[in-house]
Amino acid sequence: MMPNFSYLRVNSLEQAVEGLTSPETRVLAGGTDLLGCLRDRIFPADKLVSITRLDKLRGIEETADGGLRIGALTTLTELIDSPKLKERFPGLAQAAGEAASPQLRNQGTIGGNICQKPRCWYYRGEFHCLRKGGTLCYAFGGENQFHAIFGTDNKCCIVHPSDPSPALVAFEATVRVVGPKGTRLVPMEKFHVLPAENVEKETVLEQGEIVTEIVLPKPAAGTRSSYRKVRARRSWDFALAGVALAVAFKGDKVERARVVLSGAAPVPWRVKEVEEIVTGKKLDASTIAKAAAATVKNAQPLEHNAYKIPLFKAVMEEQLTAMAKG
Amino acid sequence: MKVDDPELYYMEGFPVPETPAPGEDPKPWIETFVIGKPLPRVDAYQRVSGSAIYPSDVSFPDMIYGVVVGSPHPNAMVERIDTSKAEKMPGVRAVITGSTAGADLTWKWPYGNSKSKLFDPHCRFEGDAVAGIAADTPYQAADAAAAVEVQYKVLPFVVDERKALDPAAPVIHGKDNHVGKPDTYERGDVNKGFAEADVVLETEYRTECLIHTPMELHGCVARWDGDRLTIWESTQGVYPVQQDVAGVLGMPLAKVRVIGHYMGGGFGSKLQAGKYTVIASLLAKATGRPVKLFLSREETFLSTGNRPPSNMKLKAGVKKDGTLTALEFTCLGTGGAYQSGGISLVDWLIRDLYTCPNVRCECNDVFINAGCARPFRAPGHPQGSWALEQTLDALAEAIKMDPVDLRLKNIPLYSQARAGDPPYTTTGLKECIEKGAAAFGWKEARKKLSQTKQEGHIRTGIGMGACLWFVGGGRPPSTIVLKLFSDGSANLNMGASDLGTGTKTVMAMVVAEELGLKIHNIQIENADTGATQYATASGGSKTVPTESPAVRAAAVEVKRQLLKIAADELKTDVQALTIRNGEILSSREPAKRIKIPDLKGLKQRGVIVGIGYRGPNPSNKWVNPFGAQFCEVKVDMRTGEIEVVRFVAAQESGRVMNRLTYDSQVIGGITMGIGLGLTEMRVLDGNETGKMCNRNWHDYKLPTALDVPREIVSVPIDPGDTEANSTGAKGLGEPVTIPTAAVIANAVYNATGIRVTETPMSPVKLCLMLAERDRRK
Ligand SMILES: Cc1cc2nc3c(=O)[nH]c(=O)nc-3n(C[C@H](O)[C@H](O)[C@H](O)COP(=O)(O)OP(=O)(O)OC[C@H]3O[C@@H](n4cnc5c(N)ncnc54)[C@H](O)[C@@H]3O)c2cc1C
Ligand code: SF4
Repeated sequence: MMPNFSYLRVNSLEQAVEGLTSPETRVLAGGTDLLGCLRDRIFPADKLVSITRLDKLRGIEETADGGLRIGALTTLTELIDSPKLKERFPGLAQAAGEAASPQLRNQGTIGGNICQKPRCWYYRGEFHCLRKGGTLCYAFGGENQFHAIFGTDNKCCIVHPSDPSPALVAFEATVRVVGPKGTRLVPMEKFHVLPAENVEKETVLEQGEIVTEIVLPKPAAGTRSSYRKVRARRSWDFALAGVALAVAFKGDKVERARVVLSGAAPVPWRVKEVEEIVTGKKLDASTIAKAAAATVKNAQPLEHNAYKIPLFKAVMEEQLTAMAKG
Repeated sequence: MKVDDPELYYMEGFPVPETPAPGEDPKPWIETFVIGKPLPRVDAYQRVSGSAIYPSDVSFPDMIYGVVVGSPHPNAMVERIDTSKAEKMPGVRAVITGSTAGADLTWKWPYGNSKSKLFDPHCRFEGDAVAGIAADTPYQAADAAAAVEVQYKVLPFVVDERKALDPAAPVIHGKDNHVGKPDTYERGDVNKGFAEADVVLETEYRTECLIHTPMELHGCVARWDGDRLTIWESTQGVYPVQQDVAGVLGMPLAKVRVIGHYMGGGFGSKLQAGKYTVIASLLAKATGRPVKLFLSREETFLSTGNRPPSNMKLKAGVKKDGTLTALEFTCLGTGGAYQSGGISLVDWLIRDLYTCPNVRCECNDVFINAGCARPFRAPGHPQGSWALEQTLDALAEAIKMDPVDLRLKNIPLYSQARAGDPPYTTTGLKECIEKGAAAFGWKEARKKLSQTKQEGHIRTGIGMGACLWFVGGGRPPSTIVLKLFSDGSANLNMGASDLGTGTKTVMAMVVAEELGLKIHNIQIENADTGATQYATASGGSKTVPTESPAVRAAAVEVKRQLLKIAADELKTDVQALTIRNGEILSSREPAKRIKIPDLKGLKQRGVIVGIGYRGPNPSNKWVNPFGAQFCEVKVDMRTGEIEVVRFVAAQESGRVMNRLTYDSQVIGGITMGIGLGLTEMRVLDGNETGKMCNRNWHDYKLPTALDVPREIVSVPIDPGDTEANSTGAKGLGEPVTIPTAAVIANAVYNATGIRVTETPMSPVKLCLMLAERDRRK
């Protein structure tokens, strides 16, 4: 059923980078997303390079400046269970806990999570759409109830499926990438790619590049964070609408805010409008109402996803209200 | 299981029921010792450990694998098929198409009069069969399928039944897309009824199309031995499969053997053979090898049935005192691309559930370019219930009456929709509503909710609804052969399938009850047309009420013969003998006792064979199950998220045969109803392609184990039905899912003041409705 491919399990990062010889060579971590894509023939693979033996890429460590370094192979369950994460980055621990199902979280890694492929049902189905190299986006005129309201550039209206990613953006994380040309650091906010830039890619990774770790800087004193997700099916499902918040307070005023949506756009979607409204203010009812309205001010809903407008507003209002309470 | 498992204490030392005189029917059980107990399934260990051999597990050393090449288009003509590349691929042993000798067969669609070819050049729905391939491995077969070159003439399609009658819609059969004349029903005079009403409400409702998606896929293993064909099929009925396959292939029934001991669920989608069954048989014949052909999960979403969508309008009139005066119902439905009962039974509850003198129903079935409907757990009923129970709820509010009282006011004692108004053997409808309400604490909860102003944006609501199920009484024919061996163990031979509902367990319990045998000494042989007795398919919640009386009759027959042998050996009067603990003893002369294995007469014969038949149902009376359900929800007034907090189901399905499997049905039915109400829908790409978007288990959102409410209370109601049949059991599996979705909708209304008239009630819908209401305010 699957086309033939070779399989390489590497013992070092260098071997991994060397092994990634063609555009159709794929990195294999937990396999929860990749194997499904291959089974469904979403894209071809001529070689799988398994990095699961690279123990150095596993685990959560403190950095010198009081932040955390999360190895790419750390599982979502390990993130949820980490006391350090829960204490300093509760919004990220929550986001990891909201992703997928318990079984998938035990197997799926954070590196794989931020690199996962979109869930647009046309993309995942027998439709040769724009993102797969075809000529047409089926979703704009079709069944788009789970699609984007921002950032589609009238090209492709996927929503990025990751829950941890918006939280990572909110915490201003940096992704360490190792490739044939060495190491580079990519701010999480720049890690995902909009359709306007490249409709066939979801991340900035170039051929041969591997995510090795994600670095979280020490949050400013007085930072509160949260992640909230609304699903069509309560138990486990991708986000209809999600909100990641990392807000630093000074006294009862907001000093700095990062507000990032999931289920909204082809990339984790930062809403600077909201950040601007709340910064320097007390999170009182009128500020929150303004912020909630600003969340969707520039949204462009499609035929079947107008519900996302009130939904994002509702979640923003709920989350800011909860955050104001501490 | 250990032989003396203490958990089976109630098997020890209980008296067996009296043996009726020859020719007499057994009397209803008065006290039971096995029946009704929460006994784990007889095959639980096998099922859970994986040692049970399901049709998907059947394997032979020389077995090869089949696939079906399906049309990727919802409406297309096959202009040319080139199989030459596929034929040359490694491992490929046969490729068949409509032009292969012996494969140019007529296919009769199961629910109506539609016929087509097995491989029809006009593919009227996505996934319809174009070719079949057999290869040494499943992967080679799939690769070869991808290599078959089919030239299609792609035609315009219509996949939305609401657009099927548009003049511009492509016509799928005949003159327009009407399947036939509208299905109409009328009693009394609705106009008069509406004129008499104090309140008249008219509302449109819609339920989405649901897919069965049982755990085990649809398929079989087919093997020929000379001119005899054996098929191991995942099916609800081996005899219907035998009949379908023999019919299509023009074979005598006796030459087709169908076996389906275990099966991993069907919910109505496995009541007949599929094209896959016939294609597997043809491939097996062509290659001289056993062929295993199971569809992929994705294929089963397309071509193995669905609960069709229903577009309904219900107008209802009520007097201030709660008397229903008129019900007028219309429905537009679709069974897909061929006649498949697209509107079947959707209006039954409107016709028959509540007392109403004036009723008019009109249902229209149309063709669309999508897979055909098949019966789906209580066909039609949850759809009709979605409309009826919500309307009753709205009427109750309009006349300021408790919805429980409104229903209690309109309880019929006979079937109004059947000719001659036949009475029910029992109707537990009133008791279901009353006892269910009491168990739920309905009055108290209503009072509390009406007195407290709910703060915050999480609101609690409660809702209820009731139901009956159109059949569920079982019926002849059924034949059971029970063999009691000389060591006191028994073999129960029954044609019926066990869908996973616990049929085998219940039947073993009947034998245990009658003969005093231990459950683990009863072996059940079932679902094999070559070796077990004739049975109709397990569907319609009829298996227990159909089979259990026949099993009981067979056990009684064995008992008669056994006691006769014992009476001869003990030289005593047969009337005085009874069985206890595997021992036969005389109630008059305590010294006269003998263990079953010590009976010389039995040793000589080796076996006692008892044959039991299912007798007729009572004439002029109807046997229907009833039920009422109650639930509590919490709704987020801003996001539209709904949490089902608890459910109470009071079901009258006659005698509770096994409390554990009974409660499992209740939990399963409610879970399925939650799927209809909250999450499930088939999504077809109406714009560009007409193809199904969500043909997998994450886009098609089934409730998972984590979506089952923590608290589901089952309240069995057993009025003691002594007329239905000799075990007093009625069907349960279907009624338990009928009102669930509507009950949740009523609770959501109670919490929010918003009536969601279209399924599924996810935030996708509810959030928007809440926001629009706030905007208007
Ligand atoms: C049914 C289902 C439901 C899900 N629901 C959710 C959800 O609600 N929310 C959510 O956030 N996620 C969800 N997921 C996604 C899940 O979290 C991811 O599949 C998982 O985290 C991926 O991790 P993995 O290790 O299994 O990745 P893999 O499957 O091994 O890889 C995923 C992709 O990332 C690439 N990759 C992996 N590691 C690296 C690396 N270190 N460097 C570069 N590229 C890499 C692979 O080549 C591949 O393309 C769901 C997945 C499934 C199957
Ligand atoms: S939204 Fe993107 S992935 Fe989906 S059909 Fe359009 S182009 Fe393809």
